[in-house]
Amino acid sequence: MGAVRKPVLVRMMIARMRRCAWLLTLTMIALTSCTGAHRSPDTIQVDIEGSPISTDPRFTTDILSSRINELVFDAMVRIDRNGQFVARLAESYERPTPTELVFHLRHDVHFSDGRPLTARDVKFTFDSILAPETGTPKRAGLSHLKSVSTPDDYTVVMTTDGPYAPALEFAMQTIVPDGTPLPARSSAIGPPGAGPFRMASFVRDESIVLERNPYFPAPANAPSTILFKVVPDPTVRALELTEGVSDFSENNIQPDVLPYLSKQPHLAISKSPGSSYRYLAFNFRDPYLRDVRVRRAIAYSIDRASIINSMMRGAARAATGLLAPENWAYDGNLPIYNYDPAKARQLLDEAGYPAGPDGMRRLRFVYKTTPEQSSLAQALQAMFKRVGITLEIRSNEFATFYSDIQKGNFDLTSLNWVGTNDPNHYYMIFDSKMTPPHGGFNRGYYTNPEMDRLVETGARTLDLSEREQIYAQVQRLAAEDLPYVSLWWDDTVVVMNRELHGFTPYPNGSLISLATLTLQGPGAAEPSE
Amino acid sequence: MIAYVTRRLFALIPVALGVATLTFAIIHLVPGDPVIAMLGETAAPADVEGMRHQLGLDRPVLEQYFSYLGGLAVGDLGESISYRKPVSRIIAERYPATIELAAAGMLVALLIAFPLGIIAGSKPGGTGDIAAMGFAILGISVPHIYLGPLLMILFSLDLRWLPLTGRGGFSHLVLPAITLGTALAAIIARMLRQSLIGVRESDYMRTAISKGLSERAALIRHGLRNALTSVITIIGLQMGSLLSGTLITEMIFSWPGLGRLLISAIGARDYPTVEGCVLAFALTYVVVNMATDLIYALVDPRVRIS
Repeated sequence: MGAVRKPVLVRMMIARMRRCAWLLTLTMIALTSCTGAHRSPDTIQVDIEGSPISTDPRFTTDILSSRINELVFDAMVRIDRNGQFVARLAESYERPTPTELVFHLRHDVHFSDGRPLTARDVKFTFDSILAPETGTPKRAGLSHLKSVSTPDDYTVVMTTDGPYAPALEFAMQTIVPDGTPLPARSSAIGPPGAGPFRMASFVRDESIVLERNPYFPAPANAPSTILFKVVPDPTVRALELTEGVSDFSENNIQPDVLPYLSKQPHLAISKSPGSSYRYLAFNFRDPYLRDVRVRRAIAYSIDRASIINSMMRGAARAATGLLAPENWAYDGNLPIYNYDPAKARQLLDEAGYPAGPDGMRRLRFVYKTTPEQSSLAQALQAMFKRVGITLEIRSNEFATFYSDIQKGNFDLTSLNWVGTNDPNHYYMIFDSKMTPPHGGFNRGYYTNPEMDRLVETGARTLDLSEREQIYAQVQRLAAEDLPYVSLWWDDTVVVMNRELHGFTPYPNGSLISLATLTLQGPGAAEPSE
Repeated sequence: MIAYVTRRLFALIPVALGVATLTFAIIHLVPGDPVIAMLGETAAPADVEGMRHQLGLDRPVLEQYFSYLGGLAVGDLGESISYRKPVSRIIAERYPATIELAAAGMLVALLIAFPLGIIAGSKPGGTGDIAAMGFAILGISVPHIYLGPLLMILFSLDLRWLPLTGRGGFSHLVLPAITLGTALAAIIARMLRQSLIGVRESDYMRTAISKGLSERAALIRHGLRNALTSVITIIGLQMGSLLSGTLITEMIFSWPGLGRLLISAIGARDYPTVEGCVLAFALTYVVVNMATDLIYALVDPRVRIS
């Protein structure tokens, strides 16, 4: 009986399987027809790694917020790709006295809601930041700004508390309309700005949509919309570029994926000199690290050329200091610590740095977990081993990492400075008063009276050639005394769909020229490797 | 039955209390400061203190804890530090996406696990068994972080059948669901195989076969239902790993769910959001396990809920 029923069952199962196969095929056809990664001709998609912290430029201190906000808001002056100040909302500016900067505003500027931009808006923006009840982190950065006054609707006078050389950087603050309330829970989209775009939507952790500001002239054939999509995974960002879902990426693709992307016919990759500075910082609260011989030994232990070639795929330049060669104050004649493990060992012995029972010295390297930092940590660990140092690696997400840095729970750490323009940044990082939590970045508690004197004089000296000399001394002192070991300046790496033209990469990574991108820019220069 | 469900629902209260207490303690013990994460290190100490006061973070921890519990009692999860919105509203926005993903992952797991388990369990040691269990080992071994991009390369880049990321129609759900469900499929398939092997020796199976049913037909018609009880247990218990799997899967596929929210909230030390998300995950786990208990009664008539 079983022998009779078996073929029936088998036939039934085959019939079911056939039906399933058909269903599966139909589903696949349906799916195939409903996908298709074709870009809307009027929208370009830019993948970003996270969401901006704030859409109100009075509060933005993180890089991502600044990158997006500079497309929505405009400032009296900006930095061009050569590091020079260019007038934007101001048509001209002058410094009539050492403590005063006067800006003459353009008369033809409108916010994206149609309101004309006047001196009142500028004053409101600065007064709002300076008001303690606003509670913005930007207030500390404007501590030398005494007042902002408006003699008429199109003139702004900024007064500083004394001669302050980097005062013009204050005018890089982007402007919001007079009367803009503080960010409320209901408004995810920031206030209207006078930049090339207006924010049409913002869904945290998902996307930001920018549309053209109707009051800001756009080039012909320019896409009307930019969709910033949050894609946290770097591999997926690369896949989206490959598939053509995303059109543009800057500095957020891992270097080891670049050779693969360069083989994609629809993508163009450009590498240009960048000013983002990667360094290794010491904790000066450790008595041994206070000895300059130990810090020099560590500098000699690092084979930067091979790290740049292998880990960074050549997309970086070996750095001599904070300021990149494109900066007006850069000094090209600084001591360089080429890889020399024998010298490193000799210096460690001279310094009397004690070794453990296994003959090895121990150092703790603390960093924020990123694929690049993890590779750097492993490379350093291998290199330090050759000079008799065991590098203990401690990797954490930013909040824990930063807590360790603040508490001094580290020997070495690595971070980078993005967008340094005025050399006064040296004051923020090396002046002995600028230790956390006093509004500065001297996280290693470096103290050197000569450095303090130089950076404080540099901030108060208005004559450019005098400043140049002062910062040449600062750079030399930093290179000799080594509060930081300079690693490299990252290149600005842009991966872009070949249909797009007219993007000008900035050394500081600014995305402002997304505003001038065109779809078939006549005569526009294509990026080249 | 209703009394049973009510009792189980009341049991959620101590669970919620325990989870809320543990999460509160852990997130406050972990180093890091929500105010610094938000304002950055350049913020003036007075501004940092001002914001700390505004957020109520300058109060003693115990006071913060009891105020959190007080809010919880009336269904108020507090306000998110980064979103400046009530946590319950953010969770309500994100929760459907995670449940959709988890349900699809479970469906994929069952669709893969049942045929594999039956093939393997009906003829242990046979070619089908070896192949199915080989697949199962592979499924358990391949992590989400690897499987996700691999599926993307195959189905999105090479075949161009499915979209890469984001949440949209059915097509957007396929790859994340497969990524999430594969490991669970492997576990269920192995469990089902073991259970089927166990019931093969039962008296009722021998009776069914002696009455003329083929061995496979007897296994599917009579054995499978009996083997299901242990499989349902494992499905309920594995719900935890399925939910935790959504964290990675949502990050890979840019899926706007609770998992991604939790990860970004941890990074920002957004205490109320972290506490709310963990609570939502924990309660989902408990409710699913309660549901599996109810399903026992449907599968096995001997089980009576009382």
